Amino acid sequence: MRKLIETIDLTYHYRSGTKDEVKALDSVSMNVFQGEILAVTGQNGSGKSTLARHFNALLTPSRGEVFVKGLSTSEKNNVKEIRKIVGMVFQNPDNQLVSSIVEEDIAFGPENLGLPQAEIIERVDWALRTLNLESLRREAPHNLSEGQKQQVAIAGVLAMKPECIVLDEPTAHLDPRGRREVLENVLRLNREEGITIVFLTHFMNEVIHCDRMLVMENGSIKMQGPPVEIFRKSSELKNTGLDIPVASRIAEGLLREGFKIRADIIHTEELIDCLCQLKSST
Amino acid sequence: MELTKNITLGVYLPGKSFIHNLDPRTKIIAATIIIVLLLFSRSYPAFALSALFIAALIIFSGLPAGYVMRGLKPMLPVLAIMWVFQLFLFKDPDAAVYFQWWIFEATEAGLQMGNLIILRVLFLFTITTFLTLTTSVVSLTDGLESMLKPLQAIGLPSQELVMTLVIALRFVLILAEELEKIIKAQMARGVAFDRGNFIQKTRKIFPVFLPLFIGAFKRAEELIVAMDARSYTGGKGRTKMKTLHMGRVDLGAAALMIIYSGLLIYIITTTEPMI
Repeated sequence: MRKLIETIDLTYHYRSGTKDEVKALDSVSMNVFQGEILAVTGQNGSGKSTLARHFNALLTPSRGEVFVKGLSTSEKNNVKEIRKIVGMVFQNPDNQLVSSIVEEDIAFGPENLGLPQAEIIERVDWALRTLNLESLRREAPHNLSEGQKQQVAIAGVLAMKPECIVLDEPTAHLDPRGRREVLENVLRLNREEGITIVFLTHFMNEVIHCDRMLVMENGSIKMQGPPVEIFRKSSELKNTGLDIPVASRIAEGLLREGFKIRADIIHTEELIDCLCQLKSST
Repeated sequence: MELTKNITLGVYLPGKSFIHNLDPRTKIIAATIIIVLLLFSRSYPAFALSALFIAALIIFSGLPAGYVMRGLKPMLPVLAIMWVFQLFLFKDPDAAVYFQWWIFEATEAGLQMGNLIILRVLFLFTITTFLTLTTSVVSLTDGLESMLKPLQAIGLPSQELVMTLVIALRFVLILAEELEKIIKAQMARGVAFDRGNFIQKTRKIFPVFLPLFIGAFKRAEELIVAMDARSYTGGKGRTKMKTLHMGRVDLGAAALMIIYSGLLIYIITTTEPMI
């Protein structure tokens, strides 16, 4: 698989050079591969947001390097190109929408790129269509639900046609329905448009849909791999302050009690299937 | 404590009326003309004509009239204070005295001055609210931007100024909501905002604004990062999704404005001023 983003020995200090310097990232080396969905998890303060902000040069390394498609983020001349490749969605939709009309907010990014008018209109239409937001086109953001606002924020990034979208806890402020809708749309963007996704979250039920996950603690990567493998090492994961999905927890308990059940269950549907099989075999 | 319900300034209510469809430049120029003429209005007939005109505009726009006027409610106490000040402090030795106590004197001139100022403020408020209710902030600022463009030649960063305005207007409502939350949180912890004398009440307001300001700065920082992430680097090199076109409706509006202005100027010059 091709590397889209690569960090090499990435170290970052907040308030660098002052006496209350804080090390937020400590020699992080990782990759984001083209076309994958990567979940980045970790408790608050584990450094996941700081890491994510290096992916489109909002932050640049104190030491080490970050490459986006081979372009170093530390090089000022690359920043414009990098931000075209990697888009970013933040936690609070209210603080990232610029305009008081949905379609005009979505146009903000393409306008900044200096695209011709016809192309901007085409992209805005496309972004609205892709996320099923056409009915909200002329709405004002303050009349929308939190979930809808977040969809608009995603559309705003999508209209810039990035190869990768980084979402920094986009579901943290949302109700369960909003969370599900955002997640479904993000998964669809990956599947249908081939957009690489980096998804920051601490909801394990969202992580199970991702191809790969990173677990961060104190500014470094503690675990990485497919969610199935990580959730099997539940005690190690719990040491970082995170939990495993409900289905895995139930399966783990049953296994401990001596039931013959697969150890790699993460989805609720899988659990149901296995339980039904277990029932019919006894 | 429903603060957001009463804020109508800066809010846009989408609609399909011909007023909504006017070019923003037309609306800005028209609003400016109305305001300037209001500042020259000094007689009741002149205000009556403006009132009729604005009422007609509101009806044409299809907006609920109650909604337009609701924003006035929080301003009423301020207006009342202004009125009282004018009533007692405006001095005119020739005017009839209604009431006298110690150094205070309520004269006819004071009364008329109070009325004049209240009327002006009411009209100013209504017309600006009406402008923002029928014009999206974006088209409003597009209009401003295109009108300010010539000033770029003398070094005015018009695009950046306009962007600042866009954002300020978007956050009016968000900050009002936040203020409401803070007040409710403090009420829940036992602060009685409606009790005590004037000084005690005022003192209770300060702890409300501190968290509001801190919150506003935090939001501003997040917004900067988000705009940065969406490749905003200032006005240079930006293109626009929408370009402005003046059409037949704008011509109609111009004709309407000329008739109104002509009538109003005639009334202003021929009727007896209030003071």
